[in-house]
Amino acid sequence: MSHVDDGTLHAYLDGELPPDEARGVDAHLAQCPDCRTRLEEERALIGRADELLGRAAPPDRALPPFRPGDAKAPGRLWWQVRLPLAWAATVVLALGAGLYLGSGTLRREPPAEKRTGDLAASETIAPSKRPASVPARPPAALRVRDNAAVAPRERDRAMAPAAAPAPPTGLLDARSYALTGPPLTVDSARVLLGADPRVVPDLPIRSVHRARMIGYAAVVVVEQPLDSSTAIAVINGRPSQLMLAEVVVAGAAQPDSLAPAARKAKPAAAPARAAATDHADAGLFLDVRGPVPADSLVALRRRLQPLRP
Amino acid sequence: MPDDLADVYRTTYRALVRFVYRKVWDVERAEDLAQEAFARALVHKPENARGWLFVVAANMARDDARRWARERRHLTLLGAEPQDSTPAVDEALHAEGERSQVRAALEQLTPRDREVLLLWDSGLSYEEIAAQTGLARGAVGTTLARARRRLVDAYEAGKKGEHVARG
Repeated sequence: MSHVDDGTLHAYLDGELPPDEARGVDAHLAQCPDCRTRLEEERALIGRADELLGRAAPPDRALPPFRPGDAKAPGRLWWQVRLPLAWAATVVLALGAGLYLGSGTLRREPPAEKRTGDLAASETIAPSKRPASVPARPPAALRVRDNAAVAPRERDRAMAPAAAPAPPTGLLDARSYALTGPPLTVDSARVLLGADPRVVPDLPIRSVHRARMIGYAAVVVVEQPLDSSTAIAVINGRPSQLMLAEVVVAGAAQPDSLAPAARKAKPAAAPARAAATDHADAGLFLDVRGPVPADSLVALRRRLQPLRP
Repeated sequence: MPDDLADVYRTTYRALVRFVYRKVWDVERAEDLAQEAFARALVHKPENARGWLFVVAANMARDDARRWARERRHLTLLGAEPQDSTPAVDEALHAEGERSQVRAALEQLTPRDREVLLLWDSGLSYEEIAAQTGLARGAVGTTLARARRRLVDAYEAGKKGEHVARG
């Protein structure tokens, strides 16, 4: 056998040479010092190339969960999400205005605030389960029907844009963050937040989305179903640099009553968590929104735990 | 099928991200594209899912890179948004410097050499690389040998150039 060419040496070193050829190379190397030298040179070259490629490797992250049967969930790209999102936001806005106008007798009572909380949740949820949004609607529709006939609701929906100038503050809060991106993996969320995203521990995670909120460098919304028709949105916000020193609570479902409670609740809950979590905890703005009573939201918020890799 | 694909997912997802990353140079985008490739595999149920995923992901990465280039031109016209500067960002910039040197070296390879090298580095066998690129199986070793040498040479040359430039 004549000298071994480079390609064969590389295949040999890569363990990709068919056994009979490999034996031939072995035999030649045994009696050819030149090729043995070259073999070592090529081995060093391969090592060097691997090292360089390793430097240009993406960070090794945990494997995000694979959800077979949920084909649309993994990584729809932003341009596919944007249109349905705009559509969903429009419908939610219209419904919200309709609900507000349709429940005139109720709107100054506290429960009305709660209802706008519902809308905060449905706005969050709608895009990610667009095909399944029909089951999510009936509870809201039913509640509306309690207060107003269906026909007025339809009319209100049609005139909503014109009627929108004076929305209740709760609705503004609901609009205070906007989903922007494609569904995220938990790992991407972790990187965005610079900390483990907080979730309610015992609930499954339906989706993770990126959102934008004024004053926050990164916002991640985790959607967790409570049961088949109800879901909550857990909002994780990493404040932008200027606000890192203080805990900022903004855009809570009930700004007047809930935000102070949250402000108090968080330092109280923090020591318990801090022992087990990274120090970035204090920097995260956390909020839970969903179609459940406000005290349940507060209770859920207290249960938030970092989602470990 | 989903079970099979779940297995492929476990064994191939990271490799696919690694592969796509060297094309789009952004982890998030690489992960999105890899996820998207798996989502498509769920729909198409390809015979050889692993090979199929790499082909699809490579195509998506190419389209993505083109679109990204267009967007960037557009963004240049609009003016860039100011970016937050944080310690994390500085650290990332340092790693980015290392990475960009390797990236520059990789870009000096011919497309075929680069593709073969990246596929090998993502864990594909010679057999799979041959099927993927249309090379004869026997030519994969030769191509890899050349690609590795050029990568190392281009990287060293870049380093040297940098030292000269810094005086």
